[in-house]
Amino acid sequence: MFNLTAGFLPRLRFSFTAFQHVRLMATGARNTVKPLHSRKTFLIDTYKDLMDKNPVVLFAHYNNLLKHENAFFRAQIQALGGKMTVLRNQLFQVYLRNAHLPDPCAASTKAVQNRTHPLLPLFKGPTAAITFSDTDPAQILKFLKLLEKSSDKMFVVGARIDGQVLDISKVHEFKTLPSKPALQSQLLGLLSVLSGAGLVKTLEAGSHSLYLTLQSHHDNKEKSN
Amino acid sequence: MLTKYFTKVVVRFNPFGKEAKCARLLLSAIPPAQRISGVTIQNELLTAESTKKPIVKITFKDKTEMEADPSTLNFKELGNHFDRHSRKLSLKESIESQ
Repeated sequence: MFNLTAGFLPRLRFSFTAFQHVRLMATGARNTVKPLHSRKTFLIDTYKDLMDKNPVVLFAHYNNLLKHENAFFRAQIQALGGKMTVLRNQLFQVYLRNAHLPDPCAASTKAVQNRTHPLLPLFKGPTAAITFSDTDPAQILKFLKLLEKSSDKMFVVGARIDGQVLDISKVHEFKTLPSKPALQSQLLGLLSVLSGAGLVKTLEAGSHSLYLTLQSHHDNKEKSN
Repeated sequence: MLTKYFTKVVVRFNPFGKEAKCARLLLSAIPPAQRISGVTIQNELLTAESTKKPIVKITFKDKTEMEADPSTLNFKELGNHFDRHSRKLSLKESIESQ
Protein backbone atom coordinates (compact mmCIF):
# COMPACT_ATOMS: atom_id res chain seq x y z
CA MET A 1 0.00 0.00 0.00
CA PHE A 2 2.79 2.37 0.89
CA ASN A 3 4.44 1.73 -2.46
CA LEU A 4 1.23 2.60 -4.20
CA THR A 5 0.89 6.07 -2.58
CA ALA A 6 4.58 6.80 -3.03
CA GLY A 7 4.30 6.04 -6.72
CA PHE A 8 1.11 7.98 -7.18
CA LEU A 9 1.93 11.26 -5.43
CA PRO A 10 4.95 12.45 -7.46
CA ARG A 11 3.05 11.89 -10.68
CA LEU A 12 0.24 14.04 -9.35
CA ARG A 13 2.68 16.78 -8.34
CA PHE A 14 4.31 16.61 -11.76
CA SER A 15 1.00 17.14 -13.47
CA PHE A 16 0.35 20.19 -11.26
CA THR A 17 3.67 21.81 -12.11
CA ALA A 18 3.36 20.96 -15.78
CA PHE A 19 0.08 22.84 -16.06
CA GLN A 20 0.95 25.62 -13.64
CA HIS A 21 1.47 28.24 -16.32
CA VAL A 22 -1.04 26.94 -18.84
CA ARG A 23 -3.93 29.31 -19.27
CA LEU A 24 -7.27 27.58 -19.60
CA MET A 25 -10.60 29.07 -20.62
CA ALA A 26 -11.63 29.38 -16.99
CA THR A 27 -8.42 30.96 -15.62
CA GLY A 28 -7.88 34.69 -15.87
CA ALA A 29 -4.82 36.35 -17.42
CA ARG A 30 -1.81 36.51 -15.11
CA ASN A 31 -1.40 40.09 -13.98
CA THR A 32 2.28 41.02 -13.49
CA VAL A 33 4.08 44.32 -12.86
CA LYS A 34 6.60 43.71 -15.63
CA PRO A 35 5.48 42.22 -18.98
CA LEU A 36 4.60 38.52 -18.67
CA HIS A 37 7.39 37.29 -20.94
CA SER A 38 10.04 39.72 -19.69
CA ARG A 39 13.34 38.69 -18.11
CA LYS A 40 12.41 40.20 -14.74
CA THR A 41 9.19 38.21 -14.45
CA PHE A 42 11.07 35.09 -15.53
CA LEU A 43 13.81 35.63 -12.94
CA ILE A 44 11.38 36.19 -10.07
CA ASP A 45 9.54 33.00 -11.08
CA THR A 46 12.91 31.21 -11.17
CA TYR A 47 13.75 32.46 -7.65
CA LYS A 48 10.38 31.29 -6.36
CA ASP A 49 11.02 27.87 -7.86
CA LEU A 50 14.56 27.81 -6.41
CA MET A 51 13.38 28.68 -2.90
CA ASP A 52 10.30 26.41 -2.93
CA LYS A 53 11.94 23.28 -4.32
CA ASN A 54 15.22 23.25 -2.38
CA PRO A 55 15.21 22.75 1.40
CA VAL A 56 18.84 23.91 1.66
CA VAL A 57 19.78 27.28 0.18
CA LEU A 58 23.13 28.81 1.17
CA PHE A 59 23.87 32.43 0.31
CA ALA A 60 27.48 33.23 -0.47
CA HIS A 61 29.39 36.43 -1.14
CA TYR A 62 31.79 36.16 -4.08
CA ASN A 63 34.63 38.51 -4.98
CA ASN A 64 34.78 39.08 -8.74
CA LEU A 65 35.63 35.52 -9.77
CA LEU A 66 37.81 34.90 -12.79
CA LYS A 67 36.45 32.66 -15.50
CA HIS A 68 38.40 29.60 -14.36
CA GLU A 69 37.56 30.22 -10.67
CA ASN A 70 33.90 30.45 -11.55
CA ALA A 71 34.07 27.22 -13.56
CA PHE A 72 35.98 25.53 -10.73
CA PHE A 73 33.41 26.46 -8.07
CA ARG A 74 30.48 25.48 -10.28
CA ALA A 75 32.04 22.11 -11.11
CA GLN A 76 32.87 21.37 -7.47
CA ILE A 77 29.38 22.32 -6.29
CA GLN A 78 27.82 20.20 -9.02
CA ALA A 79 29.99 17.26 -7.97
CA LEU A 80 28.54 17.61 -4.45
CA GLY A 81 25.00 17.52 -5.87
CA GLY A 82 24.24 21.23 -5.60
CA LYS A 83 23.81 24.14 -7.96
CA MET A 84 25.23 27.66 -7.89
CA THR A 85 23.05 30.51 -9.09
CA VAL A 86 24.24 34.10 -9.21
CA LEU A 87 21.38 36.27 -8.01
CA ARG A 88 20.16 39.68 -9.04
CA ASN A 89 19.81 41.37 -5.68
CA GLN A 90 16.93 43.75 -6.40
CA LEU A 91 14.81 41.05 -8.03
CA PHE A 92 15.54 38.59 -5.25
CA GLN A 93 14.53 41.22 -2.70
CA VAL A 94 11.29 41.75 -4.62
CA TYR A 95 10.70 38.00 -4.44
CA LEU A 96 11.42 37.87 -0.68
CA ARG A 97 9.05 40.75 0.02
CA ASN A 98 6.28 39.05 -1.96
CA ALA A 99 7.14 35.42 -1.14
CA HIS A 100 4.04 34.91 1.03
CA LEU A 101 1.67 36.21 -1.67
CA PRO A 102 0.14 33.85 -4.26
CA ASP A 103 2.01 35.49 -7.17
CA PRO A 104 5.26 37.33 -6.31
CA CYS A 105 5.30 39.02 -9.72
CA ALA A 106 1.92 40.65 -9.28
CA ALA A 107 1.57 44.26 -8.13
CA SER A 108 1.37 44.57 -4.36
CA THR A 109 1.05 47.47 -1.96
CA LYS A 110 3.61 48.25 0.72
CA ALA A 111 1.12 47.26 3.41
CA VAL A 112 0.88 43.63 2.29
CA GLN A 113 4.60 43.21 1.51
CA ASN A 114 6.88 41.54 4.03
CA ARG A 115 9.49 44.27 4.49
CA THR A 116 11.09 42.62 7.51
CA HIS A 117 11.98 39.29 5.90
CA PRO A 118 15.04 38.02 7.86
CA LEU A 119 16.98 37.27 4.63
CA LEU A 120 16.58 40.76 3.16
CA PRO A 121 19.81 42.31 4.61
CA LEU A 122 21.95 39.66 2.86
CA PHE A 123 21.44 41.09 -0.63
CA LYS A 124 23.97 43.92 -0.58
CA GLY A 125 26.90 43.30 -2.87
CA PRO A 126 27.60 40.27 -5.08
CA THR A 127 25.58 37.28 -3.87
CA ALA A 128 25.18 33.74 -5.16
CA ALA A 129 22.78 31.04 -3.99
CA ILE A 130 23.98 27.47 -3.60
CA THR A 131 21.06 25.07 -3.55
CA PHE A 132 20.86 21.44 -2.47
CA SER A 133 17.75 19.40 -3.20
CA ASP A 134 17.94 17.36 0.02
CA THR A 135 18.89 18.18 3.60
CA ASP A 136 22.20 16.44 4.13
CA PRO A 137 24.67 18.04 6.59
CA ALA A 138 27.49 15.94 5.10
CA GLN A 139 27.11 17.78 1.77
CA ILE A 140 27.26 21.14 3.53
CA LEU A 141 30.32 20.04 5.49
CA LYS A 142 32.10 19.18 2.24
CA PHE A 143 31.00 22.43 0.63
CA LEU A 144 32.20 24.58 3.56
CA LYS A 145 35.52 22.72 3.52
CA LEU A 146 35.85 23.58 -0.18
CA LEU A 147 35.24 27.27 0.53
CA GLU A 148 37.63 27.35 3.50
CA LYS A 149 40.59 26.94 1.16
CA SER A 150 39.62 30.01 -0.84
CA SER A 151 37.83 32.22 1.65
CA ASP A 152 39.00 35.42 -0.03
CA LYS A 153 37.08 34.50 -3.19
CA MET A 154 33.84 33.14 -1.83
CA PHE A 155 32.31 32.73 1.62
CA VAL A 156 28.90 31.86 3.01
CA VAL A 157 27.07 34.76 4.65
CA GLY A 158 23.79 33.08 5.58
CA ALA A 159 21.48 30.21 4.82
CA ARG A 160 17.91 29.06 4.72
CA ILE A 161 17.62 25.42 5.80
CA ASP A 162 14.20 23.75 6.10
CA GLY A 163 12.44 27.11 6.38
CA GLN A 164 14.77 28.50 9.04
CA VAL A 165 17.16 31.39 8.49
CA LEU A 166 20.62 30.59 9.89
CA ASP A 167 23.66 32.79 10.35
CA ILE A 168 27.20 31.51 9.84
CA SER A 169 27.73 30.10 13.35
CA LYS A 170 24.47 28.15 13.12
CA VAL A 171 25.45 26.80 9.69
CA HIS A 172 28.68 25.54 11.27
CA GLU A 173 26.61 23.88 14.01
CA PHE A 174 24.27 22.37 11.44
CA LYS A 175 27.03 20.76 9.37
CA THR A 176 28.09 18.61 12.35
CA LEU A 177 24.65 17.03 12.73
CA PRO A 178 24.03 13.50 11.46
CA SER A 179 21.78 13.17 8.41
CA LYS A 180 17.98 13.15 8.64
CA PRO A 181 17.43 9.36 8.20
CA ALA A 182 20.12 8.70 10.82
CA LEU A 183 18.38 11.05 13.28
CA GLN A 184 15.01 9.45 12.58
CA SER A 185 16.38 5.97 13.22
CA GLN A 186 18.05 7.23 16.41
CA LEU A 187 14.72 8.62 17.60
CA LEU A 188 12.96 5.37 16.76
CA GLY A 189 15.59 3.40 18.62
CA LEU A 190 15.26 5.68 21.63
CA LEU A 191 11.47 5.40 21.66
CA SER A 192 11.49 1.61 21.48
CA VAL A 193 14.11 1.41 24.25
CA LEU A 194 12.26 3.82 26.54
CA SER A 195 8.81 2.26 26.27
CA GLY A 196 9.75 -1.33 25.50
CA ALA A 197 8.23 -1.11 21.98
CA GLY A 198 4.80 -0.17 23.42
CA LEU A 199 4.87 3.42 22.21
CA VAL A 200 6.08 2.49 18.74
CA LYS A 201 3.27 -0.07 18.48
CA THR A 202 0.68 2.51 19.57
CA LEU A 203 1.93 5.02 16.99
CA GLU A 204 1.94 2.34 14.35
CA ALA A 205 -1.54 1.02 15.24
CA GLY A 206 -3.53 3.64 13.27
CA SER A 207 -1.89 3.06 9.93
CA HIS A 208 -1.69 -0.66 10.59
CA SER A 209 -5.44 -1.01 11.23
CA LEU A 210 -6.16 1.04 8.10
CA TYR A 211 -3.91 -1.29 6.14
CA LEU A 212 -5.70 -4.35 7.55
CA THR A 213 -9.15 -2.90 6.77
CA LEU A 214 -8.18 -2.10 3.19
CA GLN A 215 -6.53 -5.47 2.81
CA SER A 216 -9.64 -7.33 4.01
CA HIS A 217 -11.77 -5.19 1.68
CA HIS A 218 -9.42 -6.10 -1.17
CA ASP A 219 -9.65 -9.79 -0.26
CA ASN A 220 -13.45 -9.63 -0.10
CA LYS A 221 -13.58 -8.00 -3.54
CA GLU A 222 -11.35 -10.66 -4.99
CA LYS A 223 -13.51 -13.39 -3.47
CA SER A 224 -16.72 -11.89 -4.91
CA ASN A 225 -15.06 -11.66 -8.33
CA MET B 1 38.80 53.93 -4.54
CA LEU B 2 42.52 53.45 -5.20
CA THR B 3 43.37 49.87 -4.25
CA LYS B 4 46.78 49.87 -5.91
CA TYR B 5 48.77 50.58 -2.71
CA PHE B 6 47.04 48.06 -0.42
CA THR B 7 49.06 45.10 0.83
CA LYS B 8 46.72 43.72 3.47
CA VAL B 9 42.99 44.04 3.94
CA VAL B 10 41.24 42.85 7.09
CA VAL B 11 37.46 43.05 7.14
CA ARG B 12 35.26 42.05 10.03
CA PHE B 13 31.50 42.42 9.73
CA ASN B 14 28.11 40.91 10.44
CA PRO B 15 26.44 40.02 7.11
CA PHE B 16 22.99 40.69 8.60
CA GLY B 17 24.00 44.12 9.95
CA LYS B 18 23.87 47.46 8.19
CA GLU B 19 27.68 47.56 7.89
CA ALA B 20 27.49 44.59 5.51
CA LYS B 21 26.90 46.63 2.36
CA CYS B 22 29.95 48.80 2.85
CA ALA B 23 32.23 45.92 3.85
CA ARG B 24 31.14 43.64 1.03
CA LEU B 25 31.45 46.35 -1.61
CA LEU B 26 34.99 47.03 -0.38
CA LEU B 27 35.85 43.34 -0.67
CA SER B 28 34.51 43.16 -4.21
CA ALA B 29 36.29 46.40 -5.21
CA ILE B 30 39.69 44.73 -5.05
CA PRO B 31 40.49 43.51 -8.57
CA PRO B 32 41.31 39.80 -9.00
CA ALA B 33 44.65 40.56 -10.67
CA GLN B 34 45.75 42.35 -7.52
CA ARG B 35 44.59 39.46 -5.36
CA ILE B 36 46.95 37.19 -7.29
CA SER B 37 49.85 39.66 -7.19
CA GLY B 38 50.01 39.84 -3.43
CA VAL B 39 47.23 41.55 -1.47
CA THR B 40 46.25 39.34 1.44
CA ILE B 41 42.56 39.52 2.26
CA GLN B 42 41.26 38.33 5.60
CA ASN B 43 37.61 38.38 6.44
CA GLU B 44 35.90 37.42 9.62
CA LEU B 45 32.15 37.10 9.91
CA LEU B 46 30.38 38.18 13.09
CA THR B 47 27.03 36.99 14.35
CA ALA B 48 24.36 38.79 16.31
CA GLU B 49 25.77 37.42 19.60
CA SER B 50 29.43 38.35 19.04
CA THR B 51 30.79 41.31 20.99
CA LYS B 52 33.52 42.34 18.54
CA LYS B 53 33.03 45.55 16.61
CA PRO B 54 32.89 45.61 12.81
CA ILE B 55 36.09 46.99 11.31
CA VAL B 56 37.96 47.55 8.05
CA LYS B 57 41.71 47.66 8.49
CA ILE B 58 44.07 48.32 5.59
CA THR B 59 47.87 48.13 5.50
CA PHE B 60 49.52 50.14 2.75
CA LYS B 61 52.79 49.56 0.89
CA ASP B 62 54.67 51.92 3.22
CA LYS B 63 53.35 49.88 6.20
CA THR B 64 50.96 52.52 7.49
CA GLU B 65 47.74 51.12 8.85
CA MET B 66 44.35 52.76 8.58
CA GLU B 67 41.13 51.71 10.22
CA ALA B 68 37.50 52.57 9.66
CA ASP B 69 34.16 51.50 11.05
CA PRO B 70 31.93 50.38 8.16
CA SER B 71 28.74 50.79 10.19
CA THR B 72 29.07 54.57 10.39
CA LEU B 73 30.25 55.31 6.84
CA ASN B 74 28.85 54.57 3.41
CA PHE B 75 31.02 53.04 0.70
CA LYS B 76 31.94 56.34 -0.92
CA GLU B 77 33.00 57.88 2.39
CA LEU B 78 35.04 54.78 3.21
CA GLY B 79 36.74 54.99 -0.20
CA ASN B 80 37.58 58.68 0.39
CA HIS B 81 38.95 57.85 3.84
CA PHE B 82 41.50 55.38 2.43
CA ASP B 83 42.15 57.45 -0.71
CA ARG B 84 43.62 60.23 1.44
CA HIS B 85 46.67 58.07 2.07
CA SER B 86 46.67 56.37 -1.36
CA ARG B 87 46.90 59.76 -3.08
CA LYS B 88 49.91 60.69 -0.92
CA LEU B 89 51.60 57.47 -2.03
CA SER B 90 50.76 58.00 -5.70
CA LEU B 91 52.15 61.54 -5.54
CA LYS B 92 55.32 60.28 -3.92
CA GLU B 93 55.61 57.56 -6.56
CA SER B 94 55.21 60.01 -9.44
CA ILE B 95 57.87 62.34 -7.97
CA GLU B 96 60.31 59.48 -7.46
CA SER B 97 59.78 58.10 -10.98
CA GLN B 98 60.82 61.39 -12.61
